Amino acid sequence: MSQELAMALVELNRDKAMELVRSRAEKGEDPLGILAECRDGMTIVGERFQAGDYYLAELLLSGEIFKAAIAFLEPYLAKVLPAKPLGKVVLATVRGDIHDLGKNILSVLLKAQGFEVHDLGVDVAPAKIVETVKEVQPGFVGFSALITTSFPAMKETAQMLVEAGLRDKVKLMVGGGVTTPALKDYVGADFQTIDATAGVSYCLQNVEGR
Amino acid sequence: MSRETMTRTERVDAAIRLEKPDRVPVVPLLSAEAAGTLSGATMAQVSNDSQILFNSILKVFDDYGGWDAMHGGVWRPIHVQATGTHPMKIRIPGVDLPDDYVFQLVEEPIMQLEDYDKICQMGFDNFYYDDYLWRISSLTQDSLSDALEDVMIWGMKFLPEMAKRDVGMWVAATGMHPFFHLSLMRSLITFTEDLYYRPEIVEKTLKRMTADLIPKQIAMAKALGHNRWLLTEERASAYTYPLSVFERFWWPYTQEIVEAFWSEGIVTVFHIDTPWDKNLPYFKRLPKGSYVVSLDSTTDIFAAKQLLRGHGAIYGDVSASLLTIGSPADVEAYVKRLIDEVGDDGGFILGQGCNLPSNIKPENFRAMLDTCKTYEFSKK
Ligand code: B12
Repeated sequence: MSQELAMALVELNRDKAMELVRSRAEKGEDPLGILAECRDGMTIVGERFQAGDYYLAELLLSGEIFKAAIAFLEPYLAKVLPAKPLGKVVLATVRGDIHDLGKNILSVLLKAQGFEVHDLGVDVAPAKIVETVKEVQPGFVGFSALITTSFPAMKETAQMLVEAGLRDKVKLMVGGGVTTPALKDYVGADFQTIDATAGVSYCLQNVEGR
Repeated sequence: MSRETMTRTERVDAAIRLEKPDRVPVVPLLSAEAAGTLSGATMAQVSNDSQILFNSILKVFDDYGGWDAMHGGVWRPIHVQATGTHPMKIRIPGVDLPDDYVFQLVEEPIMQLEDYDKICQMGFDNFYYDDYLWRISSLTQDSLSDALEDVMIWGMKFLPEMAKRDVGMWVAATGMHPFFHLSLMRSLITFTEDLYYRPEIVEKTLKRMTADLIPKQIAMAKALGHNRWLLTEERASAYTYPLSVFERFWWPYTQEIVEAFWSEGIVTVFHIDTPWDKNLPYFKRLPKGSYVVSLDSTTDIFAAKQLLRGHGAIYGDVSASLLTIGSPADVEAYVKRLIDEVGDDGGFILGQGCNLPSNIKPENFRAMLDTCKTYEFSKK
């Protein structure tokens, strides 16, 4: 199969990518196949980012194209059996912080790799996160922070997960520009990053065997 | 053990001139949030009451034995919106947020595509005050005038207090880089789409905004009688964009701005957050001594020193994370390393990365100041 669509995403050629998605879907091609090719494109973007050839800008723009492609494919996808998600991730900006720019980028990239994302939004209370983890049974929980004021609530949430007997069932990630390795220890998380693609790689590496 | 031989202002000025002062100067950026925390006022109080904020800043200065230049002042959330510094919707503690939250900005694409043309035609200030501000703010014409007057009044009240304490201002005039301003008003993703898909209109607007900014801010710096001004940019580095974008949309305007100020004897203090490692080599094209870079701890400050040694002064960079969850011993060790490796031959001003965090531990703040004030003398 040609990788024309994947490459249109990689080259950030929005018009061409959307035109290909539209014409192929209208011709009756399997929407899951089209989606898979978009994912291939996002994977290449992620690889280029990690190699230092692409920057946050390219992640953002390819993510926007990916989102538009999914939105267009939605009615087609609704008619076919859903693909089993690769894994489930619960994301939140925890109490004390209302920023979601970084979290939203991570969410798009995770979806592009086939994860089911449960995004709880911003300023989320610890109890709400614990409740969702109980209900959704994700493999991963991610906290995003732009400012340090949500650090105590992250720690509190991690502690509540321990008390609820849920902590060892999930990998806990913390991310956002203000986070550091010291925060990982403070919260008791498994992983910390200021790079969304590193978070996606971490999930991909840890998804098997769960 | 030797001791101080310079006044605070002499010490800061020497470092800016790339000389080695009697010791490394320390200049914390004490914003309203940290001033509140360190003086025992709530976020709601310092965000809404200029008198309380004023008292808090002076109290912190006195309680912690002072420092070498005042950075930050009576600058409340409503002021940053009224002056156009943060052209965004705001949530204010005690008004839209619980009393103990920090004030927060909401980033949305408020500026529309057609607004680029408006800026080009009207100029930035007219666009901001005739049109844009009313889309983001609950201010009225009257309360806007009050807010702008408040900034002036409290700025004036600071002067005698600073004179009493023998401390000068770090910078007087402050401005946002046109590129950063547009990113905040269009929001990160939409602005990025503009840069890639509609580059001409962005370029045209950057030209107009740069042309507006230079005379306005030079006049401001002169009126305030200060030879340093602050230029903020937090989105143009190679953390966000490839160098091709940086070279086309940021560097030429920046060079023009810095050179215009320098020709008037004014030093540009860059407040540049996010990692700038790949971008800093460009700064060597600026006139020697015409700028200072304030790094936020995500740029490698030790590598920056190797690069800019003898060319531009460096300010930074005890991180927000270290100041909140580190121990005083951690802070002390990091400050010593900065003094030894970045301050060794002068041209260095010690401070926090970006801003003192609102939940800073008092003992960490003290460790930062005291270590900087005593470490070099203790070695001699
Ligand atoms: C641009 C910026 C601003 C802009 C606008 C930001 C906005 N939209 O609100 C302006 C100038 C308005 C601003 C204002 C302020 N800011 Co500010 N700002 C920044 C800066 C430089 C970059 C933020 C940004 O745009 N990031 C872009 C996004 C896309 O990046 P990101 O969130 O890091 O997300 C990426 C990764 O981290 C990752 N990721 C994110 N979450 C997660 C989660 C998981 C699980 C994973 C795996 C990955 C992941 O994915 C993304 C893509 O890779 C940061 C410094 C920094 N290094 O983060 C300071 C920073 C956030 N600001 C800070 C401060 C203090 C403020 C102010 C309070 C300052 C003041 N007194 O005026 C105000 C108000 C706070 C607010 N924002 O509401 C501090 C916060 C420190 C603290 N005390 O908590 C910071 C950290 C700077 C610092 N070191 O001191 N700020």
